[in-house]
Amino acid sequence: MIAATGQGNLFIELGAILLILAVVGRIAGRIGLPPIPLYLASGLLLGEGSTFSLEASAGFIRTCADIGVLLLLLMLGLEYTPDELRTGLTTGWPAGLVDLVANSAPGLIAGLLLGWGPVAAVVLGGVTYISSSGIIARQLFDLDRMANRETPTVLTVLVFEDLVMAIYLPVIGILLVGGDAGEAATAIAVAVGVVSAALVIASRHSHHINRALDTGSSELLLLGILGFTLLVGGLAEQVQVSGAVAAFLVGVALADRVAERGREVLLPIRDVFGGLFFVYFGLQIDPATLPPVLLPALLLATVGAGTKTATGWWAARRAGIGPRGRLRAGFSLIPRGEFSIVIAGLAVASGVDKDFGPLATAYVLILAVVGSVAMRFADRVPIRAPRPVARTGAAG
Amino acid sequence: MEVFETPLPGVGSRYEFTTAAGERVGVVARRDRRREFVVYDELDRDACRASVELTGEEAAVVVELLGGTKLTERLSDLRHEVEGLAIEWVTMAPNIGLTGRMIGEARIRTATGASVVAVIRQGTSIPGPGPELSFEAGDVVLVIGAVDSVRAARELLTG
Repeated sequence: MIAATGQGNLFIELGAILLILAVVGRIAGRIGLPPIPLYLASGLLLGEGSTFSLEASAGFIRTCADIGVLLLLLMLGLEYTPDELRTGLTTGWPAGLVDLVANSAPGLIAGLLLGWGPVAAVVLGGVTYISSSGIIARQLFDLDRMANRETPTVLTVLVFEDLVMAIYLPVIGILLVGGDAGEAATAIAVAVGVVSAALVIASRHSHHINRALDTGSSELLLLGILGFTLLVGGLAEQVQVSGAVAAFLVGVALADRVAERGREVLLPIRDVFGGLFFVYFGLQIDPATLPPVLLPALLLATVGAGTKTATGWWAARRAGIGPRGRLRAGFSLIPRGEFSIVIAGLAVASGVDKDFGPLATAYVLILAVVGSVAMRFADRVPIRAPRPVARTGAAG
Repeated sequence: MEVFETPLPGVGSRYEFTTAAGERVGVVARRDRRREFVVYDELDRDACRASVELTGEEAAVVVELLGGTKLTERLSDLRHEVEGLAIEWVTMAPNIGLTGRMIGEARIRTATGASVVAVIRQGTSIPGPGPELSFEAGDVVLVIGAVDSVRAARELLTG
């Protein structure tokens, strides 16, 4: 009897949350915003400090959130072919390095100034560094900018960031459990080795992998990819490698047709678990803890927006893009989102300063919204552009 | 006409070129087989003045409308590759020509130099028919050979 009631409560809570996500996502679409910040906000309003107590579903949602992270990264890996990653690395490294230094510095400095210690500062640096590939790619599609000449610059920077994440996540994993610099260095070496090996294997043996997984049935493909990713992710966690990074590498290793169909069948699943991931993060934050960190968050966000705009501007100028395109590229890098929350989630789970979570949440909320709006209105900003050369026309 | 290709990581590729009239035009080939056709702006040369999104099917239709299917072009290319080779489909009419006669009897190859390589009878194809096969009314006969040979074979077959 008690079990039956518990089950019922679980369903009610879970169902309510998913319905709220659906409604909220629709609102987001209507007002031209990405859904991620609104998912976060929903979690904020529903979780700690709210009138609702989500006891029955808390554990389940937590598991869903963990799966959500794996799926987010699997899909990210599926987006890229090993060739694209290699090209991104070889052509995009100058802009990528500038991006890394300019945008992790604010977080690093802020973490140290707030007295959170070097580890938390490094993690905060990661939160401020990484832009949201999910939000940005979606906005570029919605704003019809895929064909713009500055877009490859933006996408290449994002590729570089994702590669850096593959190394960064295992490192902070070690740091957050109290490892020292030596262990962290080992972690970097191992991560670089594993990532490189995975890229090489993926390029060489893509047709084998293709054949192994390429069944006619979508159902079998879905089960296969999902099972394989969870398995690899779990095994990775056992040997202290980030499961999320393992999922990313699985995505990269899957090639061509398998990747294409994989993206199709996994997208709905990712949306469900990914949505729950954002909600879960918000659930853990008590909205009452936001106002105290609002000022630092605003400050950090302003700096973060500035450094990203400067990065994009510089990278686009190097690529020979005109002033308008440079501004579009700069604004396109502003949105923060899923990755920042993943990193902050790792920190919160291992018990950093109580203000870390709220600060990261506020930061991401502000920049997800501001960044999306800035991207949309980039062309309205008055810029001195070179005068057009008059076309010799009819009268002559 | 130089076509520039730029990879779009995570999306596909972008191709662009400048037309003789001076307009800059591009195509984004997405991995999900959708295509986007764009025209770049004159003032802001990195942005698009107009863009049209096409499904794979729609793109194929546009290609046809813009002039010539690739398929027929390829077939005629194939023919040119073997100089002087002709391929003909001959429909057998009732009671005239070689209708009712056996291939071996007709001695088409000996007489004209062209070969009968297949016969399509009521929807089924008979590739490489032997000399004992008789032509029936309504058969479609595939003849291959030199241009003159095939012409002669056609005359022989249809009387």
